[in-house]
Amino acid sequence: MFCHAIIHSDGVLHSLARAGHTQLKILVLGLGNPILTDDAVGIIVAEDVRRRLDREDVVVDQASIGGLGLLELVLGYDRVIIIDAIQTAAGQPGQIHRLSPDQFRGNLRAASPHDLTLATALELGRRLRKDIPKEIVILAVEAADTETFGEELTPAVAAAVPEVVELVLQELERQGNGQRRPRCPAAR
Amino acid sequence: MNKISIDPITRLEGHGRIDIFLDDEGEVANAYLIIPELRGFEKFCQGRPVEELPRITARICGVCPEAHLMASAKACDAVYHVEPPSAGKKLRELFYSAFYVGDHATHFYILGGPDFVMGPDADPAVRNILGVIGKVGVEVGSKVIEARGRALDIIKMLGGRPVHPICAIPGGMSKPMTEEERVGVEESARWLLDFAQFTIQLFNEVVLGNKQYVDLILSDPFTLPTYYMGLVDDHNKVNFYDGLVRVVDPKGAEFVKYAPAQYLDNVAERVEPWTYVKIPYLKKVGWKGFVGGKDSGVYQATPLSRLNAADGMATPLAQAEYERMYETLGGKPVHQILATHWARIIELLYAAERLLELATDAEITDRNVRTIPTETPTEGVGIVEAPRGTLTHHYVTDERGLVVKCNLIVGTTNNIGPISASIRQAAQGLIKKGEVISEGLLNMVEMAFRAYDPCMSCATHALPGSLPLEVRILDSAGQLVERLSQGLD
Repeated sequence: MFCHAIIHSDGVLHSLARAGHTQLKILVLGLGNPILTDDAVGIIVAEDVRRRLDREDVVVDQASIGGLGLLELVLGYDRVIIIDAIQTAAGQPGQIHRLSPDQFRGNLRAASPHDLTLATALELGRRLRKDIPKEIVILAVEAADTETFGEELTPAVAAAVPEVVELVLQELERQGNGQRRPRCPAAR
Repeated sequence: MNKISIDPITRLEGHGRIDIFLDDEGEVANAYLIIPELRGFEKFCQGRPVEELPRITARICGVCPEAHLMASAKACDAVYHVEPPSAGKKLRELFYSAFYVGDHATHFYILGGPDFVMGPDADPAVRNILGVIGKVGVEVGSKVIEARGRALDIIKMLGGRPVHPICAIPGGMSKPMTEEERVGVEESARWLLDFAQFTIQLFNEVVLGNKQYVDLILSDPFTLPTYYMGLVDDHNKVNFYDGLVRVVDPKGAEFVKYAPAQYLDNVAERVEPWTYVKIPYLKKVGWKGFVGGKDSGVYQATPLSRLNAADGMATPLAQAEYERMYETLGGKPVHQILATHWARIIELLYAAERLLELATDAEITDRNVRTIPTETPTEGVGIVEAPRGTLTHHYVTDERGLVVKCNLIVGTTNNIGPISASIRQAAQGLIKKGEVISEGLLNMVEMAFRAYDPCMSCATHALPGSLPLEVRILDSAGQLVERLSQGLD
């Protein structure tokens, strides 16, 4: 039954596997610098997500790199959710943006004079490899301070962490085509 | 000219800012590079056990953590008055050579290469690795990815993880290398050596074979004679990991050669009100402003600077390229800052040769790679060559080894003086009598700036042509004449 087949995520994936499809693999990646105050937010959110999650198809990881190194980390996954800090001209600390790599301009740490922007790195990956993720979502948290050495988030950013964690978990529930997985009453 | 105060608050915008000041005649008087600066590092380290610092300082930068790791480990050696065993030093240097190959390769193909392969007049949209692949073939992109992968595999194997490795510790390395691992390193070293030679050949064909590029390299706006600094070994050959700091004057004569512990006798740091970055200069020459020449204490610390400061390269293939570069450009020292890209690939070749040398050294798998410190810690300085310039770590501890004070001079900081001078020079050709030739100014300024491969740690920049950059031109009364920007919303 359709309903039965989708009750558990394991069930869906195992049936797909039996049908010969590759198991969907999702990466949740927290980016940032753990010793630069608000720049740690991505790392902290990923840690909280890891604690809340128990799914075989999701890998949670943390990293402190961008550009080409980032490309190398995401290869092989079908979907990637990245969490990172951001500073925009009009942003309020703690504000959360949902972005895709194409939306980047120069104001993000994903770029440096020795590296590529994520968008270019992905394009490079597309031309050289077949295992580029089909979808990359970036949850960017507006930071107040990313230039002072410190191990604590500033208050507004710290207050945003639970909401970001929830957003990640919601993204993971969402199917690739934007639909939520329908609930079957028998699932309970 | 009126005195202007420059507000450093723009650091919050996270991009580079350059202020160009005009004199009363409307000619360029000065240019200053204002960059965001990370704050509070010393305070952050105080009270921590000094052996934590290799792990902590490696986190300052996601691009070259290995450089900080190594300088920090060497500073800790000095703090504890301990010397690593011979095999420990060699293993550190092997690890460091792998890092250099990966870093220089990435830099050349992603940054320097595109400018030259595609041409400085090419549309910014194609002046990047994608354009390079389009022009020279997909194979090049694959080779770069493989080169990075092999270098990172070595780092991961020896260092525990590919980014922010943790293997260099006070007194040596955390573990020796097995024979099985050594075989893998040797195999990669041979591949990387081939790759380095391929890179030299590519540069020859595409850059040196093109008169327009050669003319650009030799042009005045990009020529800046200064003092040059770099680490050298016992034979005055370039060494990235260890040795003495050698400085030569603009004519190439040795000016001073000092051990890390003596750095404060030789380098002073100047405070300017408009930037948090302290600007280093040669103490014994003195500060004369943001100018080059024999009377100014401004010095460069870049790949080109290292080659200028040394008498040669320690490995044969790199030495042959070294000689060829100086012959082509008219002798030593070379003052053309764009030649830094050439110097970088000569270093890439040296790093690959050195990696292979060390991977086949008789004692490289020796089990004894660490001397355990026994003396009371006090104070120490560790210096390595980071890809972007001479990197100095200086720590003072109490008798328990807790940090009391720490000072770092990172690669790019050495170059703030010359970068400002180069920008001024680049601008002088395009701003006359108060009239700004906007078109091309940003490009020239960016090329001057980027020749130094500035690493502002976490400051944000982008590919050639899209560097988020703001250039303000101010007249002698401090009024804004023009503001140019790119890559900013």
